Order: sequence, then structure tokens, then C-alpha cells
Amino acid sequence: MRNNPVYKREMAVRARSPRIPVLIMLFNGILAAAALLNMYSSIVQVRISNTIRYESFLQLYAFVATLEFLLLMFIMPALTSASISGERERHTLELMFTTRLRAADIVAGKLMSALSQLLVMAFSSFPVLLLTFVYGSMNLKDLALLMFCFVTVALFCGSLGIFASALMRRSTFSNVVTYGTLLAAVAGTYLFNQFLLNVSQMEVNSMILQAGEVRPAPSSGWAAYLLLLNPAATFAELLESQVSGGGGQFTVRYFLGAASGNFITEHWVFVSAAIQLALSAVLLRGAVWFLEPVRRKRK
Amino acid sequence: MLKIRGLKKRFKNFPALDGLDMDVEEGALYGFIGPNGAGKTTAIRIITGLLEADEGTVEIGGKDAFLYREQVKEDFGYVPDEFGMYDNLKVWEYMEFFASCYGLSGLVGRNRCRELLEQVKLSDKADFFVDSLSRGMKQRLCLARAMIHDPKLLVLDEPTSGMDPRARMEFKELLKELCAEGKTILVSSHILSELSSMCTDIGIIDAGRIVLSGNMEEILKKVNDSNPLKIRVNGNQELALKLLSEERNVRTVSVNGSEIRAGFHGGKAEEARLLRLLVEAGVPVSGFYRDQGDLESIFMQITSHEKEKVVLTSEE
Repeated sequence: MRNNPVYKREMAVRARSPRIPVLIMLFNGILAAAALLNMYSSIVQVRISNTIRYESFLQLYAFVATLEFLLLMFIMPALTSASISGERERHTLELMFTTRLRAADIVAGKLMSALSQLLVMAFSSFPVLLLTFVYGSMNLKDLALLMFCFVTVALFCGSLGIFASALMRRSTFSNVVTYGTLLAAVAGTYLFNQFLLNVSQMEVNSMILQAGEVRPAPSSGWAAYLLLLNPAATFAELLESQVSGGGGQFTVRYFLGAASGNFITEHWVFVSAAIQLALSAVLLRGAVWFLEPVRRKRK
Repeated sequence: MLKIRGLKKRFKNFPALDGLDMDVEEGALYGFIGPNGAGKTTAIRIITGLLEADEGTVEIGGKDAFLYREQVKEDFGYVPDEFGMYDNLKVWEYMEFFASCYGLSGLVGRNRCRELLEQVKLSDKADFFVDSLSRGMKQRLCLARAMIHDPKLLVLDEPTSGMDPRARMEFKELLKELCAEGKTILVSSHILSELSSMCTDIGIIDAGRIVLSGNMEEILKKVNDSNPLKIRVNGNQELALKLLSEERNVRTVSVNGSEIRAGFHGGKAEEARLLRLLVEAGVPVSGFYRDQGDLESIFMQITSHEKEKVVLTSEE
């Protein structure tokens, strides 16, 4: 990747701008302040009540991880959705195609530069996450899983942005399509499931039960599997497995109720991550296909 | 250097190229001329691999440009009508970026960039942001960028549009220099006077076909020969008109006061014979000359889409 001219140029231009260091400083400043306040309140609590609330460190972990996740999910499309359409608007895309560069080089360079930038932000905040290690509530495997989840969501959102950018001639349209699709994947699948769950809840409530019969748990049914496309659901499921209650109402168990015992639901994080990574690969391949100016066989 | 045969391209129902044939010899400075919508940019985009042709072949340096697309990229440099600039890069960064796109990195790439910036007289601007350059400078930078991999063929699409006269003159001189160094240059432009003073060859495209092509001098000679003869007579005009209408080389005759304009197809010997005929018949000829042709007159003549009429008219 270091030899990819597009990657090198993007990194050089970004390194020149003070925006990234300022963003990192602000982001980590807020996280560190929240973490220190949390620790301070724990210490004060110990002094007053002589009890240590270990879960407050887990809450801190969940808070920092969620913030980082949101950052990745919403900033990554912003970095990628205008990346190729911007080149097209500047008329530099055509120039690149008359050189040795191939569409795949351009796509890879754009994706990796955006990914590098965001992962620098995510990594730089790890010391705050490591505060939870002080009390031994988390381990390195948890951190590695979190990192895996971050890379997956960054790749998924980045690929979506790059695909829209390759497809659309104008950056404005590309931005709208990227965020629109992301909204459909995150809020759309969630709201659809929530709606079906409410309908199911009403049906369950209106059931007339025989003596000894147990009222079934409400469920959104097959629609819950749409959440496999939802990076927020993947993250929520991971957080739920690390911090009890951390996933909130985004977890698959919330939507599937008692009917949640199968291979997919038991390995939700890995299955959904695999699906999202496969989708990312398809989107990137699609972007390369749309970008190729001439698709005839060549030697 | 560049050979195009039967190139066709349709955009929905509109035939942008309709069997384009074109030859650009090695070392030529070829002016590619045509009215708006004639197919110039479409042809250039197909040559440079940015657009797919429906039919036909393009050979660059003897290689099939469609089959050996990657290899052919080494043989040409492209300057589009829009500059294609990164405003947030410095001039040397811009050059180095494109050098690395051709695999030229490190010292080799840097030296090549320095050489080219000197050649286009931009070495003193190397540390300037591209954004701060004038239009003429940007175009020179774009030309330097197109030459970064030392291609044999340069393809320039309307390179001087929007430039002031001085920048245009400098750019023209630069192209002549490059041509003298052995580069083959294909340049499309609307500024015909400019092309006529620098091109060695021209090709006029209209409705997706080449309607006239060849060596500039030969074409101008042909046009000179086809310009109307202007004959001034001091009386006996009717006899002159009669003789001219009977002459087989005269296709059209019109009268404007004492001046007769004859659409005469023939060389200097035929002209001399006609003059002798008029004088020997007793017509008092006081003027006998042809207008010199230029690229504009050829262009207007060829792209006017009016059929030639054989008429005998009076403009009075």
C-alpha cells in the first residue's frame, strides 16, 4: 500500500492539514475527561460507602467503545463518499486512467487512506479503554474483538461510501446515497424490527390462554435476521457479550426473545461481521467495475 | 504513429463517430479540427482509452490500442480540455504524484519532474500551490505532466482555450519545440489561425468523419486553386461572361460591378491560358488574381454543409 500513489498523496495532503491532530486531541480530550471524572466519582464513592462499584468501569468501557463506534460509523462515509466523485469533478480521475493506475489501485488507495485516518483516531483512544484493565474487568481478547468490530464497521461504511462515489457523478448525490443507505441499514432494520416486535407484543397480549399454557415471548421473527446487515447490531451484540446490558435494545435477543437459540444467533458477531465484510468486498468490486472506463478484454 | 480505421461510436441514437479514418505520421504536429459536436473529443477519448468504441481500430505506435491498452498507455500523454488539478498540492507534488502513477519514484522521478518543469519554464514555481498558478501556467504544468513518462505521442484536446494571446503564443512555441524534438502531437483546437501557423498536418472532422486530411501546405495549395478567380474588366463584360461560361474549367460565374468572380478549377497553367483567351478575344482585363486560402476558409467551406451549385448569377 505504501507504493500506491493515491494512498501516498491522500496521506500527504491529510498530514498537512491541522484538522486531524485537532480532531484527535478533542476526541481524546473528551474521552479522557469522561474517564477521569468516572474514576474520581468511583473513588469518592469508595470513601463515602466503603464499597467499590466495579461496574462503573465497565460502563466507562461501554461509553468509550460506543463513542468510537459512532465516530467510525458516521465519519468513515464522510471521508469516502466524495473521494472518487470529487476526483471526477476535478477532472483528475480521467488523468489517472491514462496512467498505469487501474481502477482497483484508486479504490484501494482511497479506502486505505480513509481507514488509516480513522483507525489512528480509534487506536489513539485505546489508553482510555485500558483504564478498565486497572480493575481487571476486561482482557486483551475483549479488546481484540472490539478492534475487529471497529475494522469491520469501518470497512463496511467505507466501502459503501466508495461504491456510491464511484457510481454517482456528483459528490452531493454520493453523500446522500451513502448516508441514506447507512440509515436504512442501521435505523431502517432496527425500526422495522421494532415495529414487528410491537405487533407481536400486541398479538401476545391479546391471546387467551388455557390453564397451564405459557404466554409466548414476543418476537420480530425472520426480520431479526435483517439485523445481520446492521453494524450497530453487531456492535451491540459484542458489547452485550462483554458488558452485561451494554447492547441495550439493539441485540438480537431483544428481538427474537425465546426463539434465539440457533447457530446464527449464538455466533451473531462473527456471522454478521462475515456478512458485512463479504458485502464490503462486493461493494468494492462493484466500485472497481463502475470505474473502469473501458471494460473490453485487454492484454 | 497513430492509425485509426473505421471508428464508430453512437450515443443512443446520435452517431458521434461514423467510420473515422485518420493517420498521424511520426513527428507530425497534427491539427484536429471540427465544429462543435463533430466528434473530436469523442475520438480523443477513445484514443486515450477513456471511452469504448463501438467499432473500428486504433493503433498507437503499431500496437492495437484496444488489445494492448496497458502497454499503449506508455506511448501517449494526454492533456484534456479541463486541466485536472489538485489545488491542495504544490507544483512539484503534483508532478511527483503523476510520476509515481507511471512507476517513476525516488531520485529518477524527482529528476524527471525537475527537467520537465524547467522545460515548461515553471521551475521557479515548484513550491507554489497549483491553485495559485495562472491559467497559462496551469496548462504548461498539465503539458509537463503529460510528458512525465516521455511518451512518443501527445494528445491535446483544446489546450489553448481560455488563454490570453501571450500565453497562447508561448504554448504554441512550446509545442513547436516538442515537435522539433521528435514528439508526435495531435492537437484539437477551434483557434484555426493558431493551428495553421504551427501544424504540419491537419484533419478536418465533420459529422464523425474525416472530410479532409493531409499535409498543411498541400491542402492550402489545393484550396488556393479552388478559390474563385477575380477578373476586373474595363468594358466588354458581356463577351467576358460569354467566354467564361463556355470555358470547361469554369463552374460558377458571378458579377459584382466591374469584377467577375469565376469558380475556376485548375492550376497556374490553366489560369494563364484563360487570361490569354480573354485578352486575345479583346476583353480589356485590368485585374486577374486569386484570393489566398487559409485554414478558416477551408474549414468554413468544408463544414458549411451546402452543396456546390453551378450558376451564372449577377450580384448587381
